[in-house]
Amino acid sequence: MSRIAVARRELGSLSREKTIVLAILIQVIIAGFSSFLVVGLTSLYDPDAAGGDVEVAVTGEAADAMVAAAAETEGLTPRRVADPADARAAFDRGEVAAVVRAERRDGRIAVSASVPQSSLRKTLVVVQLRTALKTLERDERVTRSGSLAAPPLPVPPATDASPYFGFSYTVLLPLLVFLPVFISGAVLVDSLTEEIERGTLELLRVTPLSFVGIVDGKAGLLAALVPAQVLAWVALLSINGIAVSNVAALIVMAAALAVIAAGFAAGLALAVPVRQRAQLTYSLGALAAFAAAAGLPEPPATTVARLAIGSAARTTWLHLAGYVVAAVVVAVAVRRYAGTVSPERFG
Amino acid sequence: MRPRKLLRIARWETTTGVGGVDRGAIAVVLAAIAFVGAVGVVGFVGGVAIEDGIYRVGVDEDSRFHAPAAEDPSLAVVEPDPAVVADGRLETGQGYDIHVRETADGTRLYLAEAGGEPTEKSRAAATAFREAVEAHNERRMRLESNETAAFPVVVTLEFVARDDADGAEAGGDGDSGSGGSGGGTGDGSGSGDGDDTGGPGGPSDGTGTGTGDGGVGAPSLGAFDLFGTADTAGSPSDISPPFPFQSLVLAFVFVLPLNFLIQAYGSSMLAERLDRRGELLLVAPVSPAEIVFGKTLPYFAAALGITTVIVAGLRLLGGGAGPLSVLAVVPLALLFLATTFLGAMFARSYKELTFVSVTVSTLLTTYAFVPAVFAGTSPVAFVSPLTIAVRDLTGAGVTVGQLAFATGPATLVAGVCFLLGLGVYREEDLFTQRPVHLKALDALAGRIRRPRSLVLVVALMVPFVFVAELLVVVLLFVLPVAVSVPLVFGAIAVVEELAKGVPVYAGFVRGRYDRTLGAAVAAGSAAGVGFFLAEKLSLAVQVVGLPEVAVADAAFQTGLGAGAGVVALLAVAPLLLHVVTATVSAVGGSRGRRGFLAGLAAAALLHLCYNVAVVSRLV
Repeated sequence: MSRIAVARRELGSLSREKTIVLAILIQVIIAGFSSFLVVGLTSLYDPDAAGGDVEVAVTGEAADAMVAAAAETEGLTPRRVADPADARAAFDRGEVAAVVRAERRDGRIAVSASVPQSSLRKTLVVVQLRTALKTLERDERVTRSGSLAAPPLPVPPATDASPYFGFSYTVLLPLLVFLPVFISGAVLVDSLTEEIERGTLELLRVTPLSFVGIVDGKAGLLAALVPAQVLAWVALLSINGIAVSNVAALIVMAAALAVIAAGFAAGLALAVPVRQRAQLTYSLGALAAFAAAAGLPEPPATTVARLAIGSAARTTWLHLAGYVVAAVVVAVAVRRYAGTVSPERFG
Repeated sequence: MRPRKLLRIARWETTTGVGGVDRGAIAVVLAAIAFVGAVGVVGFVGGVAIEDGIYRVGVDEDSRFHAPAAEDPSLAVVEPDPAVVADGRLETGQGYDIHVRETADGTRLYLAEAGGEPTEKSRAAATAFREAVEAHNERRMRLESNETAAFPVVVTLEFVARDDADGAEAGGDGDSGSGGSGGGTGDGSGSGDGDDTGGPGGPSDGTGTGTGDGGVGAPSLGAFDLFGTADTAGSPSDISPPFPFQSLVLAFVFVLPLNFLIQAYGSSMLAERLDRRGELLLVAPVSPAEIVFGKTLPYFAAALGITTVIVAGLRLLGGGAGPLSVLAVVPLALLFLATTFLGAMFARSYKELTFVSVTVSTLLTTYAFVPAVFAGTSPVAFVSPLTIAVRDLTGAGVTVGQLAFATGPATLVAGVCFLLGLGVYREEDLFTQRPVHLKALDALAGRIRRPRSLVLVVALMVPFVFVAELLVVVLLFVLPVAVSVPLVFGAIAVVEELAKGVPVYAGFVRGRYDRTLGAAVAAGSAAGVGFFLAEKLSLAVQVVGLPEVAVADAAFQTGLGAGAGVVALLAVAPLLLHVVTATVSAVGGSRGRRGFLAGLAAAALLHLCYNVAVVSRLV
């Protein structure tokens, strides 16, 4: 019986209990959930996604400047109303989404905007108004640039970029790399503590396989499953039109992180051979490690994002090399530790 | 159930749980929590820089646009190489996404192109660059001495309630929104949107939170500014749009501790099943119910304690939270514990338990969280108990009916889960290894003696159906009605047929009755009747909850607005339907697994046809 046999046996039990299916299901739910959130969130902010123009009533003496600025804003239709009472009435009837009153006061334009307190579209209305008001502010600054020590820089023209573009790389992909890593470690803790608690480790010891070999087989399989899952996710994203760069580097990174997580999990399961405690310590330890990694010059999530989006810099490659070195160190250290553990103490 | 025995088991559970963890482990755990907390606070305050340098900008150090690009974390400044811009174009793969070049007649911005078109990435980079320039201008203006010229526009933003918030607003909103690419907030909101201010306690909500400190940066992300209704004043860039998902923060504050708690609970429950450890308690003179509830009590108390601490903390921070918030979390805590208990009864190993409980907690978090997103905008939010907590925190009241609607189904489901789990809490099931789905069938069959028992068993399934259908409604109600209603019909047909068919099938598998046509008809009829009776209880929906949401009406077939004769027909027709479809799947079930699946599919199709043909014509 070799290490491969241990790994095969582990894979067999994982597929028999459908845990792999559940693991993928969990990832799909979490990814779907976060996408649902972001698409929902962005559609509330984004005039194109939320659909339809926002019509606002504009009143007051500085209404002309405001109307001119609003007309420049895509998705916003200003309506000039002379009497504030009419504007308010139109607002109450729901004909306009907001009432804007622009007055000149102390050399400035004082704008007071009323938007509906309760409407699903109020976020969009506020976003649109802000865009128009910024245009107004910019126009006014240009006319007053003589009084400014340093006039503002010209703003580049707007481009029609997808609001979801960054999300796929900065949130979704890091999530899909780190979730399998975390789950693999958790499964390894379960698998080892269970063998110990049920006493089946004793049976494995009867075979001509060293204790280190048993740990190798189990941890190796779970670490190997991670890059496979990440590869599957990348393929799925590519089918959906999200091109991922540096796939090989991403796989290396996932594999390195998986080895670190599996090493940590194996060491923990051997040191604390009680499932409840080991599992809690593993979860909190992983959380703490992830939080600590945020202190790196480039956090792991950023490294994944920069690799995937194709903006890897020298620091990105240095970090990647660092993870590989750390993985080797952890693997060596855990194997050495497992060699010193006497399986008899679990009896 | 004897309280003294129950409490004694609870005490054992507490002492072994705490005594089992040594001091070193507690210290490690506390240190980790403190560390994560500290880093979390730093990260939250300092902002998470996940987008660091994802776009590369080529801009010369002497350029006036160098500073804006260097200040923005999402842009990485790369030394520009003039040679890469060949005949006025920038190709991809040169190491730049956008390239800024100053010429005599102004500044030119080049977007990386592939095949003559700017790539998606370079367009996103250009947008980020534009925002960086705007932010840079803003910072420079703050240094100007002439404030009137630097900030020529002063804005006061106020959120006001419309005077007559009847159908007018809803019509206006609904017509203009055409449900864009993401299936935005279009037609679906047309029906749900208009009545939000009309809801009980609606108009008074959130208006007391005006910050009024004027000047710069009035953040809208305050924990209790849940509806984003704080008025702001300042320059245009000070306006922060109301953040519509603040209940997310709350959801995680309340739900996250439950996720950790059920880990410990599940471990403890499964540990009873390993090495026949639970046998000692089983042979003791206590009933299984006493064992289960005694072991559950400490965890439930811990959940309550944690929630109370959170609520007290939120109160210290200035929220209007009170006992109502704690009451709202009770059904959620019960639901988490009950499903974990059932999972621990079914699972064969820790590995399996981990996945069962993680799947369960992901689903339950969705159930608690997604509806609460709509708190303050739509009555659909009351599907989740968490909405009660959100409204309590913001000082908006809830009626008794809303409370019952939000907490009732969850509590019922929790109760049924405990009941099913108790059914397998006995020697012959506890220590045997069987796949999860067979164990689940065992749990159902445990309550079946003869075809007649199915009336009760199927009735017990109705809370599950109720929760599943509510979840479907919530997930689909943002879509346009033309899309969501057929989808809801389909989902409901499947869910309801499963609820009727699976218990009948469990009876066949466990041999509770013969595999004959007569038995199948008897079992199917009993299942149909049980489902019908229990479902009619769900008419409470009409009284309490979701009358104006078209999708909900489709889901629960309330027959709103129909005449008296139609109502009478609606009372009898479903009974007939449920009996017929349940019998179809029962007859299939008597022929084995394949037959059951075929019967189930036929029943669901029949159900769907009925829904589309009868209900959509009447309602």
